[in-house]
Amino acid sequence: MDTLNIDAEKCTACRACELACSFAHEGAFVPTLSRIRVVRLMGEGANIPVVCVNCARPACVEVCPSGAAYIDRTVPVVRVNEEECIGCGDCVKACPFGAADFNKEREVALICDLCDGDPACVEHCIYGALTFEPVQSLAQRKRRVTAEAHAHRDEIA
Amino acid sequence: MIRDIGAQRILNVDLTSGRTWLEEVDREDLLHFLGGRGINAKLLYERVPKGIDPLGPDNVLIFGPGTLTGTSAPSSGRTSVTCKGPATGLYLKVSVGGHLGAELKYAGYDYLVIHGRAENPVFLWIDDDAVELRDARHLWGLGTREADRLIREELGDDEIETGLIGPAGENRVLFSCIIFSLYNSASRGGVGAVMGSKNLKAIAARGTGGLRVAEGDEFFELAARTRRELAQDAGSNTLHRWGTSGSLPDLNEMKMLPSYNFNQVRIDQAEKLSGQYMEDEGYLIGRESCFSCSTACHRFVRTLEHKYGEVRDSGPELETVMSLGAECGIIDTEAVIKGNQLCNDYGMDVISVGHVISWAMECYEKGVIKGKQADELDLHFGNAESQLELIRRIALREGLLGDLLANGTKQAAEEVGGDSWKWAIQAKGLEQSGVDTRMAKSYALAFAVNPRGPDHLMTECFAEFGITEEARALIKEITGDEKLADPTLLEKRADIVLWHEDCYAASDALGFCVFTSTAAYAVNPRNMSQLFGHALGVEFSEEELMRAGRRTVTLERCFNVREGALRVDDTLPWRMMNTPVPEGPQEGMVTDKEMLDQLLDQYYEAHGWDVGTGIPTREALETLGLLELCGDCAAA
Repeated sequence: MDTLNIDAEKCTACRACELACSFAHEGAFVPTLSRIRVVRLMGEGANIPVVCVNCARPACVEVCPSGAAYIDRTVPVVRVNEEECIGCGDCVKACPFGAADFNKEREVALICDLCDGDPACVEHCIYGALTFEPVQSLAQRKRRVTAEAHAHRDEIA
Repeated sequence: MIRDIGAQRILNVDLTSGRTWLEEVDREDLLHFLGGRGINAKLLYERVPKGIDPLGPDNVLIFGPGTLTGTSAPSSGRTSVTCKGPATGLYLKVSVGGHLGAELKYAGYDYLVIHGRAENPVFLWIDDDAVELRDARHLWGLGTREADRLIREELGDDEIETGLIGPAGENRVLFSCIIFSLYNSASRGGVGAVMGSKNLKAIAARGTGGLRVAEGDEFFELAARTRRELAQDAGSNTLHRWGTSGSLPDLNEMKMLPSYNFNQVRIDQAEKLSGQYMEDEGYLIGRESCFSCSTACHRFVRTLEHKYGEVRDSGPELETVMSLGAECGIIDTEAVIKGNQLCNDYGMDVISVGHVISWAMECYEKGVIKGKQADELDLHFGNAESQLELIRRIALREGLLGDLLANGTKQAAEEVGGDSWKWAIQAKGLEQSGVDTRMAKSYALAFAVNPRGPDHLMTECFAEFGITEEARALIKEITGDEKLADPTLLEKRADIVLWHEDCYAASDALGFCVFTSTAAYAVNPRNMSQLFGHALGVEFSEEELMRAGRRTVTLERCFNVREGALRVDDTLPWRMMNTPVPEGPQEGMVTDKEMLDQLLDQYYEAHGWDVGTGIPTREALETLGLLELCGDCAAA
């Protein structure tokens, strides 16, 4: 299963992801309607993209009173049935990451749907801060980094 | 609110009365001037009559993000800030990146025009449709960093965008700037002083709306393709990795690095001020983009030894390390990082700061400024402690020297007298940026005719060096001969300058960073015109785009003509015209009066302006459809 992964060190806050996302979903350039948002920690020199992490047991789905938020096992991804969404904002309150937001234009929940498995944000991130790959290959890459850090421990010391 | 990109709106704010009102931009004007810098120029021409005090309430301060700012067009997030400039008394346009321009667009405004003067310090809070002037007395006197923090705290929103002045703007330092989004500066010519004269400390904006383009899929596809091309451009990659100061070692090697107030063309250990060094030694901690940029040339750096105090801030640009570093003879990474941070916090243009100080250092070493006049500072070249102290005093106009230098080298030299005017690297009242205009002749011409004074930020003729294949191809396209990609030649320099003027003006109008259009070429008149056409849903040709650029440049000229500027004002700093390059491959080169005259003749002729006065003719204005707007200043 592919997941959307973030390497924040490579993020420069160009916000092409926000533009691509809102264009893909809304047909317009509206960062506040983007499902991925770049948080710029001014004065820290850090830029962190924040987006749905696709929890295995998503709090947004668990709390949704109308049943509008559900897990689509075919992608898999959390989806919002906008017809059924009552705009209560419970998902926003429940999401521990601030990744669920509210679409004030249509008064419904705003949650990443991974563009049905081909996320626009990843395609347009030229800095390589966003990738879409199996979680196992991510783990493998990170194992490698950990191993290399150990191998060079003496040099660092 | 999601708006159509072609329906542009002007937000006017009169600080004297507190009144705000909206206007719509005429569609015909948008097609004629493209937006941003172009519409700004028209608004300034119409609203600022001849002869007003740039620091009085009659001046207007116009913020115009590009027409494509806020879209996915790559590196299109720039804003033109326009007013009558206090350093020169002439037309002033400054381009700035960051994120404020896009935020203004999303709030629903394509232009922000500030009129009048507030009785007490205020800041402007734009929260979508709600526009409010808020008390800023508690912010007056604060640096840009602290003021920004307090505004975010007061508004309870850390995702706002800001544009602020520091103490230098409040004190009307003639080269004070406006800081956008903390990391970006609308630098030159004293736009900060204009904002300060209006008692406006800051603009804070929050926009939750968006923009819709007419031909969405075509626009998005072309923008994405252009972004990918830019990402593969070698020059863009170098800029990403090392920032603008990555070119410093090469400039030094080629004896093209202005040092010691343009007395030298190289300096020992220059590499210690380079982007490469800052990456290798661990000063660099991050790379920052302006809105929608695919280069991210900005640095975020830290100090390591904290020799002059701990700094963690946006990093120095090439012009910064040249002016604060090499020009002042200071090869000290920590000092330049600190100096840069002070300039950003006090809100001053680093190019002018470095050059007023390097001028003072030359005066000191030649005994023209001494003892009490120097406020007891040791101003020998290379003294970092004195420089950092002087930056503070200039911003606060403290002491004799601080106050003197705060007016720029032109006025300072008039006060100091003797030969000191010859060492003032300025023309029209603006300090020259770090380009040696003795060797590069398109640059020399472009600097001399630049309506705001001698720098590369109105017309960047980088192509004349012919360094890349694309640059040589461009010179061939302009002149018909690839061999003219040689900066030492006088031949056809006007044609090269005019092409770059047009392209630069169009880039500014649409919001594109000129690094993408006149240094790299992935953004070019062809795809700019296509993107503009798709955005508005019109057929729009490359020729129309370049003509709109020409129209803007001509209108800017007319503003200066109306103020009384003539051919005689189109000149270069004395040293560039009278002291030959001292060493290296360019040794002996100079752009003397005779050469400059030849270049100016070429230039006015190419524009169809009167050669004797440099004033546009009626025919030139008529061809561009400017007769109605500015026929009153046509050549007799």
